[in-house]
Amino acid sequence: MASRAATGATLPMLALEHVAELSSVAGEDRALLALRNQARELLTPLLLPDRARHLWRYTDPTRFLPDTDPTDLTPTDVGPTWRLEEPLSVAGLLAGGALRVVEMDAQARKAGVAVEDLHHAKAAEMLGQAVPPGHGFVEDINTAAWRGGVLVRVPAGVALEHPIRLRVVAGPLTLPRVLVVAGEGSSFEIIEGHVGGDRSVGKVLGVTEILVARDANVRYGLVQRWDPGIVGHLTARARVAAGARFHLSLASFGGSTFKADVGAYLAGEGAEVETAGVAMGGDQQHFDHHTEHIHEARKTSSNLDFKVALTHAARSTYTGMIRIARQAGGSEAYQENRNLLLSHDARAESIPELEILTDDVRCSHGATVAPIDPEQLFYLQSRGLANLQAMRVIVYGFLDQTLARLPQTTRERIEALVAARLHTE
Amino acid sequence: MSHSAKPVFSCTDVHVWIAEKEVVKGVDLAVSAGEIHAIMGPNGSGKSTLANALMGHPAYTLEGTVELSGEDVTSLSPDEKARRGMFLAFQYPVAVPGVTVASFLRAAVAAVRGTEVPVREFRKELLARMEDLEMDPAFAGRYLNDGFSGGEKKRLEILQLLMLKPRFALLDETDSGLDIDALKVVAEGINAAASQDVGMVLVTHYQRLLNYVRPHVVHVFMDGRIVRTGGPELALELEERGYDWLETPATAGGA
Ligand SMILES: Nc1ncnc2c1ncn2[C@@H]1O[C@H](COP(=O)(O)OP(=O)(O)OP(=O)(O)O)[C@@H](O)[C@H]1O
Ligand SMILES: [Mg+2]
Repeated sequence: MASRAATGATLPMLALEHVAELSSVAGEDRALLALRNQARELLTPLLLPDRARHLWRYTDPTRFLPDTDPTDLTPTDVGPTWRLEEPLSVAGLLAGGALRVVEMDAQARKAGVAVEDLHHAKAAEMLGQAVPPGHGFVEDINTAAWRGGVLVRVPAGVALEHPIRLRVVAGPLTLPRVLVVAGEGSSFEIIEGHVGGDRSVGKVLGVTEILVARDANVRYGLVQRWDPGIVGHLTARARVAAGARFHLSLASFGGSTFKADVGAYLAGEGAEVETAGVAMGGDQQHFDHHTEHIHEARKTSSNLDFKVALTHAARSTYTGMIRIARQAGGSEAYQENRNLLLSHDARAESIPELEILTDDVRCSHGATVAPIDPEQLFYLQSRGLANLQAMRVIVYGFLDQTLARLPQTTRERIEALVAARLHTE
Repeated sequence: MSHSAKPVFSCTDVHVWIAEKEVVKGVDLAVSAGEIHAIMGPNGSGKSTLANALMGHPAYTLEGTVELSGEDVTSLSPDEKARRGMFLAFQYPVAVPGVTVASFLRAAVAAVRGTEVPVREFRKELLARMEDLEMDPAFAGRYLNDGFSGGEKKRLEILQLLMLKPRFALLDETDSGLDIDALKVVAEGINAAASQDVGMVLVTHYQRLLNYVRPHVVHVFMDGRIVRTGGPELALELEERGYDWLETPATAGGA
């Protein structure tokens, strides 16, 4: 692939000319506009991250710069139809910069679950709590210029029987914003699925924040299955209060270049976070996943299991940060990343990053990158499985223990996508 | 040695190279339906290399011809051979974590029989065969060979033999590492297969197995060759005298 990145001679350009107009046309309050302007300030002048810094060592940041001004108002596309296949509490579609609530079941309605257009949800004070201005230049572009956003709020004490599904459809330039607010003691599963691209070229810069109040139990899934043309960056951060549990499922399949930055702040005593992820890449796909489990409070625990399987000339980089603050004694954190290479040309790297500022912790991490075992292949083939089928069985096995950690609906969804992916190879 | 029937398996002038090294140096074998051959020979003489190469292990280079029921299968892949009724019980079965015994066997049975067996029927058959081998049904849900003891792995190889119902089976030291009860169970499995007209080659170090499984033919394998072929009494003689007296290939005798 020819490099189209900006050379040293030309400075990368970023136009954000119509922030105020975008905000007023969308009917936003002044607080939201102030937040946009704060992020915009941070981008003027545009200073791209140093490529020597770990987060950007593997992916050229200029790939994520919008080619046109994202605040320039373009006519809204009509979103595609969405046929729901399983019972859901809520189904929300973000397409063409607009939110459409496709479904809200009786239980969710009675319980007071809110699904609102984030532009006029009067939620500015909650926005930026998990991904504040200054988090990174991609996130700042989103904060300054996002269009098409949703606020999902589940009141305290509500346990939803069926999952919430959000579907975000990629267009030529898409900056979606999602805010999930889980009330004290609430419990629910929410899946954010990224689709689309229509085989054409497109860019997606998405940010999701999840605020998990005391004793809540949120199972969040981020499922990316873009068409091949999409270059995208998705950031998801949860802030997890005392006694709360947050489960993050990550599944990455699509796009040509995909960078993900996901994680959680374990902000209150006893918070628990578990991340389980799978990524499957092929062709010339470039994946760059970064996770962060940030322990800020005592007796918090986190666990991460991320598996990557690659074919053809796919590339994957994983950097996994565990940070345990000085005041977070009595905590534990575990991290494991395994990469399976199914072809000679596939490459994967895995870099654990630990910042542990107290001795009173239990922490371990492990990383492997390995080609498919020829002895396993021979064994399965000697039992009648053709080469491709034997590979599929090995990949299933490789992913199985991670998939087993996922909550029910997310698991079914992701397993179906894994199967579909394996059968197109 | 055998009757007039066409052998289910034969190989002619088989040589096997690992990298640049010739490990198997010209082997001929012919096994008829229901016939049991034993191959005995010292460590490192090339028995497993022969077995793996016959099954089509990609790391080995094989020269010569291999036939299944008269069909030349020399250049076929391992799965194609399996689908034509060939089976290899591994000396060291590999673990495949994440893949359960039941799901793996269901896929293998479907591949070898060329048709999907309904789940219920399959489970019934699997549990019956596991009972024959005195295996705890819980093994069906465990990951393939993952954390299995040596003896459990060998039983699982025999379970696969009984489920896949090959025409010809090569068993590479399936009796090694078994306690006496397991040995009996495994021997019964082998006899059951033989009574169903499976042709078999047992690679073994021990006369012990041959107390329960009566081979029709015994071959002595040394330094990449069959140096002597005889009846069951040859195994007893080896037990008593070791291999030293057979040292030179020139003493190789036919049947
Ligand atoms: N992959 C390999 N690479 C290098 N050498 C090998 C390989 N596999 C086998 N060999 C060598 O080939 C020779 C024959 O080995 P093989 O395993 O076939 O012996 P065997 O007769 O089965 O022995 P045993 O009775 O101990 O099982 C040995 O010297 C062994 O070290
Ligand atoms: Mg051997």
